[in-house]
Amino acid sequence: MDQPLLSVRNLTVKFGEFKAIDGLSFDLYPGKTLAVVGESGSGKSVTALSIMRLVELGTRAKVAEGEVLLRRDDGSTIDLLKQSERAMRSIRGNDISMVFQEPLTSLNPVYTTGDQVIETIRQHRKTTRRDAAKRALEMFEKVRIPRPDKVMQDYPHQLSGGMRQRVMIAMALSCDPRLLIADEPTTALDVTIQAQMLGLMKSLQQETGAAVMLITHDMGVVAEVADDMVVMRNSKFVESGSVYDIFEKPGAAYTRALLASVPRLGSMKGKTEPERFDLVDREGM
Amino acid sequence: MLAIATKIGESLLLILAVLVFNFVLVYIAPGSVIDALSAGSLGDASEAQIEAVRERLGLDKSFFGQLFMYLGNVLQGDFGYSPIGNRPVVEMIAPRIFPTLLLAFSALTFAVTIGIAIGTAAARRPDSFLSSGLTVFALIGFAMPVFWTGILLILVFGVWLDWLPVAGMNDLRMSSRAGFFERAVDTAEHLILPTVSLGVIFLATYARLARASMMEVLQSDYIRTARAKGLHESKVLFKHGLRNGIIPIITVLGLEFGILLSGAILVETVFAWPGLGRLAFEAVLNRDTNVLLAILTMVSVTVILANLLTDIVYRLVDPRIRTGGRA
Repeated sequence: MDQPLLSVRNLTVKFGEFKAIDGLSFDLYPGKTLAVVGESGSGKSVTALSIMRLVELGTRAKVAEGEVLLRRDDGSTIDLLKQSERAMRSIRGNDISMVFQEPLTSLNPVYTTGDQVIETIRQHRKTTRRDAAKRALEMFEKVRIPRPDKVMQDYPHQLSGGMRQRVMIAMALSCDPRLLIADEPTTALDVTIQAQMLGLMKSLQQETGAAVMLITHDMGVVAEVADDMVVMRNSKFVESGSVYDIFEKPGAAYTRALLASVPRLGSMKGKTEPERFDLVDREGM
Repeated sequence: MLAIATKIGESLLLILAVLVFNFVLVYIAPGSVIDALSAGSLGDASEAQIEAVRERLGLDKSFFGQLFMYLGNVLQGDFGYSPIGNRPVVEMIAPRIFPTLLLAFSALTFAVTIGIAIGTAAARRPDSFLSSGLTVFALIGFAMPVFWTGILLILVFGVWLDWLPVAGMNDLRMSSRAGFFERAVDTAEHLILPTVSLGVIFLATYARLARASMMEVLQSDYIRTARAKGLHESKVLFKHGLRNGIIPIITVLGLEFGILLSGAILVETVFAWPGLGRLAFEAVLNRDTNVLLAILTMVSVTVILANLLTDIVYRLVDPRIRTGGRA
């Protein structure tokens, strides 16, 4: 097997005395999709923001210990937690980029979508505005935005939710990152658009060869797009492995409960309310 | 474009309404210019002579007669004659407009730029000394009347330290042959204390407003996106943060312009600044209604124009208003 692109080792993040992530470790391999799964408040998004070293900016969070090792093109590895802010700025949006949950609020309302993508490109590539605009247009075409030249002139509020998320993806992929972190990228979208977006991300991943870290609480999404998964609960690591293995034979009681909570077609037949399932804590997870 | 044209139309109607309102306000105020003249130059005049002056000034007409005469004259650019100054009102007002606007804009620029800078710095570190110091400073700024601030500044910088001039717009000893640059520097020196004393109350407002607005903006998702793109913190703050954070400040700016001009009256009196404010103060004392009405009109028109400008700038800054967005 390849060397991992990203290795998170014993990552611990604190908000004051509260541990938002407690000793988390996992590996993410080039070209693969790793799903980080867990209920709300389990620490999934904090994990993503910690990898980007964004968690400490403007909050009281502190990365208390651990390593986040990123493999560079030359085969060497760097610990992101030890990089200077200047070095991190050259990594963010370039080697690692992010797509967020809510595309309307994640795009700046006072700049056109085109300007926001061009800004990302010019931040990391020495290029003229005209060439950056050309590249942005290419990216808009790549994420299948109809009439991309017009959409580039539009402001975020003038677009539909699905279109905004496509802009976010175009922006995230504009500098050919080796790792794309997608934090609940489909949660704020309609079900039909969700499927389109997952398909788009999958095909773009095949095209670019980027690794994807997908943060989600939706087991359906995990089954559809992920290769490996990490399960988290209450800031702690629960288990990890290939999606096939964990869906087939979940090791932890919590994972079993999580899988059991997914409604199945026909499971309500002959019943007036959903069947209760055991609370995990009672089993002493 | 249509929206801006509508706004301009609304503003013109508003100016007309304000003209009528100002006239009514001055009409119902006790005392008239005749009383002031009777106490001064007309002190020895007979009843018939006073009646003749009243007739010449149109004060013998009915309320509506006076109102329509006034509106007709104003719409033709004629603000009447000042029996106190013994000159047409326009001649008295014209040289006073520039000093007042200079003082108002300089105080506004001082308050907005410094206020936003302090507010933004405080918003970045809400628990810092700067942030809590700002609250105290804002309270002091609000609590101090402008004339009191002015007197304190005169005492400290004019009397004790002797750093800055404290009265007028130019040094009286300045040669009439002084060049433009020399005169401008002298005016700038004279402008500092009035600007600070008028600006400080607004500085407190804008700093607190900027702090609150920027604190909210800096928690926004698009700020996180800007950081995730690898942008430098200064670009995140000024390009992505401030452009959004400034929107509530622009709104207040237009609304407060009137208060700024009324504050200018006090500051001009304290610093002997040769502006409209001091003229208005003298006009009130002398019941010089034509001058007072003309100044009220000038101030009202300026406030309405400032609000119109605010509306236009608001549209330029926030595309959601310009394009009729819902978000």
